[in-house]
Amino acid sequence: MSAISELSTVRGTRARTPEEKALRKKEASRDNKAGYLFLLPWLIGLVLITLGPMLASLYLSFTNYSLIQAPKFIGIENYARMLTDPRLHQSLKVTFIYVLVSTPLQLALALAIAILLNEGMRGLAFYRSVFYLPSMLGGSVAIAVLWRNMFESDGLVNQLLRLLGIDVHISWIGDPSYALWTIVLLHVWTFGSPMVIFLAGLRQIPGMYYEAAAVDGATRWTMFRKITLPLLSPIIFFNLVLQIINAFQAFTQAFVVSNGTGGPSDATLFYTVYLYQRGFVQFQMGYASAMAWLLVVIIAAFTAINFFLSKYWVFYGD
Amino acid sequence: MAINRRQFLIAAGGLAAAATTGGLAACAPGSSGGGSQGGGNQGGGTNLTLAWWGNPTRNKNTQAEIDAYVKANPNVKISPQPGEFASYWDKLATQTAGGQAPDIIQMDMAYIADYGTRGALLDLGKVDVSKFVEGTVDSGKIGGKLVGVNAGINSAVFFANPKIFEKAKMELPDDKTWTWDQVFEIGAEVASKAGVPFGVAGGGPAGFVGSDSLFGTFVRQQGKELFKEDGLGFEVADAQAWYDLMLKGLRAKAIGTPADNSEEAAKPLDQSALVLGKAAIQWWNTNQLEAIGAAAGGQQMTMLRGPSTTGKATDRKTWYKASMLWSASAKTKNPDAAIAWINWFANSTEAADIDKAERGIPPNSELLTHVTPSLSPAQQVVAKYITDIKGEVGATPIAPLPGGGTLGPVMFKHGIDVLFGKASSADAAKAFVDEVKSNLKV
Repeated sequence: MSAISELSTVRGTRARTPEEKALRKKEASRDNKAGYLFLLPWLIGLVLITLGPMLASLYLSFTNYSLIQAPKFIGIENYARMLTDPRLHQSLKVTFIYVLVSTPLQLALALAIAILLNEGMRGLAFYRSVFYLPSMLGGSVAIAVLWRNMFESDGLVNQLLRLLGIDVHISWIGDPSYALWTIVLLHVWTFGSPMVIFLAGLRQIPGMYYEAAAVDGATRWTMFRKITLPLLSPIIFFNLVLQIINAFQAFTQAFVVSNGTGGPSDATLFYTVYLYQRGFVQFQMGYASAMAWLLVVIIAAFTAINFFLSKYWVFYGD
Repeated sequence: MAINRRQFLIAAGGLAAAATTGGLAACAPGSSGGGSQGGGNQGGGTNLTLAWWGNPTRNKNTQAEIDAYVKANPNVKISPQPGEFASYWDKLATQTAGGQAPDIIQMDMAYIADYGTRGALLDLGKVDVSKFVEGTVDSGKIGGKLVGVNAGINSAVFFANPKIFEKAKMELPDDKTWTWDQVFEIGAEVASKAGVPFGVAGGGPAGFVGSDSLFGTFVRQQGKELFKEDGLGFEVADAQAWYDLMLKGLRAKAIGTPADNSEEAAKPLDQSALVLGKAAIQWWNTNQLEAIGAAAGGQQMTMLRGPSTTGKATDRKTWYKASMLWSASAKTKNPDAAIAWINWFANSTEAADIDKAERGIPPNSELLTHVTPSLSPAQQVVAKYITDIKGEVGATPIAPLPGGGTLGPVMFKHGIDVLFGKASSADAAKAFVDEVKSNLKV
């Protein structure tokens, strides 16, 4: 929206006489009209489907709302209850571990594979698609079900280990000590979308830098550290922000792997799974709304920290 | 006349906007037309919506019942809303919140109090339940008011796989005299002799240690209940005794490993330990006998009564559970028509001939006699069992309180901590009771 009005002010400043100014203004407003008309489908969606429900949920977070009866205003009681809710604290712990461990691992893997694929091997398009595939499937219910079957005590993973002579009977899915890590692994496996973005970023780095470095006798590791990383840092930053936001909102995998319980023993009780349980299983939509707003604040805080820290490590070439 | 670029853009933008608003506007009457509120009495007819969850067989049956009813009552129109159990409740809650609840609602015992105590369900006092078997009507009462009519009788029961007992060269146990201790003794013996992970396994969404119906059986035999009108009907000591009992079963190697129990809880029926031949005995509900047999490749399972503390089946205080109930929305525009349909389902041979025992054994004793000859072999076994245990049935437990549907999962969660040795039975019992109590505060 602002881009459109900016554009018209720039043009407006060039007008000399009052008549010219009036004409420009008329033209600009007609241009704006077209712009807003094209925006309208999105704008209607934003107001009705995003903003409206968000405001409603903000109001509901201050009420006791069972979905079945009308909401009753209770002030900040929902927020106060959060302080003493042990399951909320457990769900925060699970979610923070998940975000802080799986995001860096996923990005590192995505970058490593992107660099390999950038070498210009034969059949690149094929490999790129193959590595991207998990990203398309990873959020699906079918994969989560597959995961459950792979990591149970008689699952594929243990059978493979037994073939290698390691006799394991651990249920990776059923034991509270390991269950979360199987979901972290599932998330890392879906490295495809950051990988594609990395790949595009790598293509932007001019080859002459590497040639010059090679002439000077730089090792590949030095080239990676001194050329690739700095020039790719805006892309890394972009991926980092997006993936952290995504990871905080993870739901499907934990929901399906644990059958909606967040089990075993709340080991995979993701924040969103707990929010769902409060809202739709226990009919406490007011509390669930308050939880949603806490998540908004947490994600906003993380994003702000990210932007603040970016000053120290993100290098914009221009 | 030429159209310049700008005119074209404005026109195109306008079209796009019109298409969007048009689309959105079309949504509104569409969704309310699907619900009951938009219905009313159009052209002299009565419109009803009917929602249920189920499987392909039940979907076919219910559609046939609707067709038969509409044929006999040409002024009634019924729009079906079939669903699947897990998403059914999300949808019903959302519909109810939006004032669009279906007129006739297939209801579950786990949720009836959530809706009933909040005034969302219609008083069904006018439905004729005079021919219902004793103990089958009360489960649908909330605060003394009938808000759910039993659609089929169920009872929690052990299924045993005779093949595994054969393999272990053991006789099937005498279920009229066995005690809790014997369940574990026999379970341990059959597990080791037949080489299966589970002697006895829990079933359904909560496993053995989290089965609310097994725990309910246990506390009822101590003269208590899961729920009273004003809260929990048992104490921390009872929960601790239960967890200690589970530890006994674990040490005896009767109930599988902690990991086995943890995994079993997330399994659907067709991948359950009993179906896969990994359990000799598993706890289920009577209406699942046929489905389990079919999933196990036609292996017919034998039903065994749950244990008692005294060794007498008549002391085991079992109960008839409604496998599901029929409720109606309190906000329906056509309460009489909704009641008439439920009444027809509960009392007409026409409905019974279609439904047979798919929703559980008909609670109406005359209808049960009527349909018994046409039941499948498995359903006949169930019908006989339900009749046989009449003398062993205790008082009907009240429906779980609002928020009480979480009892099983919470008990399971802390029970798994006990089995894995991460918590003592005393600590876990206290945590379990505290958490359920806090869930009951709504």
